[in-house]
Amino acid sequence: MMSIAKLRKMLDTRQISAIELTQAYLNKIKEVDIKINSYISVCEESAAGAAKEAQKLIDEGKASFLTGIPISVKDNICTLGIKTTCASKMLEDFVPIYDATVVQKLKAVGAVILGKTNMDEFAMGGSSQTSYFGCVRNPYDTSRVSGGSSGGAAASVSAGLCAGALGSDTGGSVRQPASFCGVTGLKPTYGAVSRYGLIAFASSLDQIGPIAYSAEDCGGILNVIAGYDENDATSAKRTQNSFGGKIGMSLKGMKIGIPKEFFGNGIHDEVKSAVLSAADFYRQAGCELVDVSMPSLEYAVSAYYLISSAEAASNLSRYDGIKFGYRSTNGESYEELVKNTRREGFGEEVKHRILLGNYALSSGYYDAYYNNASKIRTQIKKEYNDIFAQCDCILTPTAPTVAYRIGEFENDPVKMYLADICTVTVNIAGLPAISTTCGYDSAGMPIGMSIVGKAFGEAEIIAAADAFEKQFARQEAVL
Amino acid sequence: MRYIPVIGLEIHAEMLTHSKVFCTCSAEFGGEENSRVCPRCAGLPGTLPVLNQGAVTLAAKAGFALDCTVNPYSAFDRKNYFYPDLPKAYQITQFEKPICTDGKVNIRGKDIRINRIHIEEDAGKLIHDEYEGISFADYNRCGVPLIEIVTEPDLRSADEAKEFVEEVALRLKYAGVCDARMEQGSLRVDVNISLMPYGSSEFGTRAEIKNLNSLKSIVRAIEYEIERQTEILDKGEKVVQETRRFNDNHGNTKALRSKEEAHDYRYFPEPDIPPVLFSEAELSAIRESMPEMPQKRFERYTKEYGLPEKDAELLIGDKDLSDFYDAAARCNPSYKAIANLVLVELLRNLNDSGMCISDVKFSPANLAQIVKLSDEGKISKNAAKDILKILFESGGDPLEIAKANNLIMESDASALESIIDKVIAENADSVESYKSGNQKVFGFLMGQVVKEAGKGANPQLARDLLMKKLAD
Ligand SMILES: [Zn+2]
Repeated sequence: MMSIAKLRKMLDTRQISAIELTQAYLNKIKEVDIKINSYISVCEESAAGAAKEAQKLIDEGKASFLTGIPISVKDNICTLGIKTTCASKMLEDFVPIYDATVVQKLKAVGAVILGKTNMDEFAMGGSSQTSYFGCVRNPYDTSRVSGGSSGGAAASVSAGLCAGALGSDTGGSVRQPASFCGVTGLKPTYGAVSRYGLIAFASSLDQIGPIAYSAEDCGGILNVIAGYDENDATSAKRTQNSFGGKIGMSLKGMKIGIPKEFFGNGIHDEVKSAVLSAADFYRQAGCELVDVSMPSLEYAVSAYYLISSAEAASNLSRYDGIKFGYRSTNGESYEELVKNTRREGFGEEVKHRILLGNYALSSGYYDAYYNNASKIRTQIKKEYNDIFAQCDCILTPTAPTVAYRIGEFENDPVKMYLADICTVTVNIAGLPAISTTCGYDSAGMPIGMSIVGKAFGEAEIIAAADAFEKQFARQEAVL
Repeated sequence: MRYIPVIGLEIHAEMLTHSKVFCTCSAEFGGEENSRVCPRCAGLPGTLPVLNQGAVTLAAKAGFALDCTVNPYSAFDRKNYFYPDLPKAYQITQFEKPICTDGKVNIRGKDIRINRIHIEEDAGKLIHDEYEGISFADYNRCGVPLIEIVTEPDLRSADEAKEFVEEVALRLKYAGVCDARMEQGSLRVDVNISLMPYGSSEFGTRAEIKNLNSLKSIVRAIEYEIERQTEILDKGEKVVQETRRFNDNHGNTKALRSKEEAHDYRYFPEPDIPPVLFSEAELSAIRESMPEMPQKRFERYTKEYGLPEKDAELLIGDKDLSDFYDAAARCNPSYKAIANLVLVELLRNLNDSGMCISDVKFSPANLAQIVKLSDEGKISKNAAKDILKILFESGGDPLEIAKANNLIMESDASALESIIDKVIAENADSVESYKSGNQKVFGFLMGQVVKEAGKGANPQLARDLLMKKLAD
């Protein structure tokens, strides 16, 4: 595993050409991905072509941070002419006729897209086990999950099958797999990155974010993909400074909130102690640790599942077999065709969420479910505001445990839902957060910590994560 | 028993924007099937709606035109249902927070209250091939911006409803919001109707009749429903709350779905579109940019132009005709004469030919020039009609037409004088008779003058000169 920053130097000093670099990654995918199943599609030809173009840019002295850098893209982000499946039978053969804004931006700077990564079906899940194309395995222990829903993205970075990845984060889907796979993942502020071309799961929560070797690399990728997009009315109009701009600045005087509810009973001891020892690092670096509280945390997971499922139920209604995607061969009438298409095209987890979402929105239940969830959303935002009145950022575990065994929660989905407790509030409040590895458990599995920032405070949390990473001894996955 | 009909309307009006409400496809009527479709309005995965600000402004104008409060905060919601003409399987609309509320329109001295106006997107069109048993979807209309105008149940008869729709359509036309072409579907009406026993103040159970697309079908559907519901109530039975469809061929309504079968639309806030916000300044700017509305124009015609009320009303009732008149009146301030020519001659020609004012081959300036020629005494009233008819048939320049057709009147006094001298000399007997008191002979002499001078003679001038000469 090598950082983009390092690869950049090698490319710029002609130690390796972009073509050779891309080929090396493609070879490694061929050799290793059979063990972890992180890619759904690998685009050898177009990647080789892009590498050639990138080399031209390098030769002309027009290279920037991602020029010639091999990147993977989660398979729910539309790529012109390349299958975009959302890991679902429903979109198994769906080939978009346009590029997502983030993909356009990657292409514009000469980044090389190696392929499309595996994930939970329609990004619904935290373990990448619901994929129609088989589950993603953890590079640290292939009997364990990679996390999710951007499991393929995190595993592809962790196993050295790309230099950086684009994932999407609706309730922790970038940070949690990054944590499970021992890499760094950044969920940007809602509106920082255009969602145009991201196949929607829950529109008010979804955000595309980078997964990479380091916080610095994440910042570099974010510099390319962030910014206002007239194609996304929820993208923010603001002038953008370099997200890596605060790296190396002194942390002295920085106030870090430690919310006690995030270190409660459900959190595994080894996780707790690793995160608290990271807190100690910050204290020694001159930061002030502040005890803070988020009383509504206990309602957060319920609110998250109600809101995200309600939006998902609506967003996924367009898959009716009429215009694109899978169409059932059974059914005489329109109604039957739609029913059978959806029955056959969606997996179990997706159907659960659609049912839950429609239930939460149906008349007679709307107030009790969707409306109450919205009230909790408002309350959580308020509690974050209160916390940020006292501190600059917040430190929490990324997940209650390390990566668990494949199939472990098969019969207890609620327990798996509860595992989202550390990440969902960030999406609910639209805040930025970065997860980086802060330790390893007794079995050698990576433990992740998350630093949550103020809205558009990416530069601060990237700098804080970078400071920790610079002194932390990474243990790489060996496949 | 006798009943009072209680009627409320939902008017769907397509707004006159260039592009659709959430994408940049053309919103124009027509076009080859699916030629005005993009990834966005086709609902392709990953696409997002981007609100057309022009549609928002027009909806606000509709609000001002119908005397509504235009709200500084409004927001969009999703209305979820499966239908093949709806690619996303949800319609983006405004449910909780509509852009306009609390309006009113006066009909026959009575205020009809408007509950709300909200913005929404139109759906596509299904084309069924009954023979092959296949259906096709045309998404050209999909995403065309609509406003839905919802009234309170204040209407009490089919005629009132018709008059209300006419007035709303007229105001929307004047405001530039909608062309109100019912035959093209740019204005559609849903009718809610129930019957209330005389003397009662409690509304009955209502039926909703969907998608009426002509004034005639609105009237017929309401009349049919009144009859149908009266029959039910007279039998002591209950009206079922349901949605009905009007059949134009049979003139009746048929149940579409009952209340129990009604869709649960599972409305919730549209997460892809931020709320629509207006500042005070923005609202007053829109208000100030409102085109002249019918009432204002009526006042201008009657007070400034001095037109009779009936003429003003006639003109205003047809916006295109009224606009034509206005343009002509700007060229020549002979307001009344122009109004007469428009309302009598122009309308006659339009009716005879079955043409629309937008089809005519001449400009308002041409028409104004005819009146000017007449005002200046260069042509007679009859010649004005003739010139208009020629213009109507083949276009051209009024003065040239007048010259070519020998319609310019002889206004040269000396030329006329010599003609009159000649007539007097050649008709000594008649002159003698006139001078001895036989007034009738004047007509004969005048006829001789006109005969000599030709059609172009200015009759007034000729008459004056002849009188003067005979008196000598
Ligand atoms: Zn379009």
